[in-house]
Amino acid sequence: MNKNSYGSEEELLSAVGRQDSTALNLIYKTYFPMILHFVIQNNGTEPEAKDVCQESIIVLYENTQQPGFALSCKIKTYLYSVCRRQWLKRLAEKGRYVGKVEDFENFVALEDERAAMDEREKQFGVMRQALTQLGEPCRTLMEDFFVHSLTMQQITDKMGYTNADNAKNQKYKCLMRLKKLFFAGYRSD
Amino acid sequence: MVTKEEYEQIEAYLNGTLKTEQRAQFEQRLRNEPQLAKETAEQRLLLQSFRVYGKRNQFKEQLEGIHQEMQAETARSKRLAFESYGVRAFWKKHLPTMAVAASVALVTVFSTLLVMDYVRSLENKQATYYRALKREVDNIKRKQNVTNDLPASNAPVVVPARYSATGFVVSSNGYLVTDYHVIEGANSLFIESRAESRSDKIQRYQVKEVYSDPARDLAILKIVDTSFVSFGQLPYTFKTTESELGEPVYTLAYPREDIVYGDGSISSLTGFEGDTTAYQISIPVNPGNSGGPLLDGKGHLIGIVKGKSVAEDGAAFAVKSKHLLKLIRSIPKDSLSGTLALPRTNRMKGLKRPEQIKQIQGLVFNVKVYH
Repeated sequence: MNKNSYGSEEELLSAVGRQDSTALNLIYKTYFPMILHFVIQNNGTEPEAKDVCQESIIVLYENTQQPGFALSCKIKTYLYSVCRRQWLKRLAEKGRYVGKVEDFENFVALEDERAAMDEREKQFGVMRQALTQLGEPCRTLMEDFFVHSLTMQQITDKMGYTNADNAKNQKYKCLMRLKKLFFAGYRSD
Repeated sequence: MVTKEEYEQIEAYLNGTLKTEQRAQFEQRLRNEPQLAKETAEQRLLLQSFRVYGKRNQFKEQLEGIHQEMQAETARSKRLAFESYGVRAFWKKHLPTMAVAASVALVTVFSTLLVMDYVRSLENKQATYYRALKREVDNIKRKQNVTNDLPASNAPVVVPARYSATGFVVSSNGYLVTDYHVIEGANSLFIESRAESRSDKIQRYQVKEVYSDPARDLAILKIVDTSFVSFGQLPYTFKTTESELGEPVYTLAYPREDIVYGDGSISSLTGFEGDTTAYQISIPVNPGNSGGPLLDGKGHLIGIVKGKSVAEDGAAFAVKSKHLLKLIRSIPKDSLSGTLALPRTNRMKGLKRPEQIKQIQGLVFNVKVYH
């Protein structure tokens, strides 16, 4: 790995935590081939490998945001472990589990992070599904407000509402529907 | 279900935008109203999920960008390498096999060449060291004769013999022996004796090959001319045992158009390169000596001259008479016209050398080979 810009793994990791694009670039380009190889050797395709790789890096990022997180192994090993876990999960979901996993690297069990990771996974999955079910224009409204953090005034302008109160009403209605959908999904899972 | 006002309060509370007293008031309500507390908790979870969702999407976008960039880079480098890729992959895949095959081929080719060369050099060596003694009749002379004779188309064309060597009689009813290499590939064979030329009695007969043994280099001829009657009783006999080393021997032959006498002794009981079927003799021999009889002092025929060594001086070779007898015995009966009766009595025992020669010179012939 190119260590010129990052003296150590810790520095690189903290750069990932800051969402530093150079660090992400470096990590992505360095480890994508490894992940691609793993996924393809284990009954996967290149697009799937891409998804798994991106998910794994996101998980790495999310984990760096957790209080008290410390990397106990190399980034490579950690990323491989995460990717391995993600991919096996996907295979299991699709009923494509092949039994013996072909491994190419050492990996760690990720015991400490597992619960938090599963929780975020669930939240993300349920939220995505709920938003899809919610439909337009509620979805855009919700995303603009909660994800892109637009103000009510900006949303009013963007969506063409006559005034902010109108927008607020709309937002309330949408949110209630979303909540229903979300918790229906969240609890059934 | 919470009302819009309640919801706005929850939202404000979670965002931390409530003023201190309102906040205290709200927290008080949370403790008292489980329904509100539940709604608040749900809202918190929802917000958190939104955060995860948003972050992930945003992150994914960023990574997607990196991926596209990476793909573009790979495509670029792939495009650059495209032309040579096929060839390179081919070489990468097949180079070890090809290298092995090529080296095997090279080794095979060169070792074959070397072995062939070596074998040829051995053959050459033999050819250079050993020379069969048939005499090649001068090429130019022959050609001239042919051209001279051509205009006179009516006159019979005299074609000179291609090779000339020696042969001698082994039985009185017209069987002769000579070397196989002399008559090899012959079209027609004649024998001539000029031994008694002074008395103008040139004997000339046509002969044919009866039997031959290329391995021992021997051939049996038979006179086919009707004018031939008999040679009478032969003065010499064939020796069935091997002669001693140092035994004085002599030969008569036609290395040129006249009979030539040569003498010496048996210098070795083996021939060229240890050939046990032949003697080495110390008689100066020349092309044309082939097929000449080798006799010892008592008039026993002990061999047939066949060749000489070029590498050594004065080393000529003669097939042992034992092998000639073996050959004669092995001739199938139906190849013979008339019996081949070998002479039994030796009439030369007490004679001096010139007397002996007189006895036998009429039985030694110049074999002319026409191709």
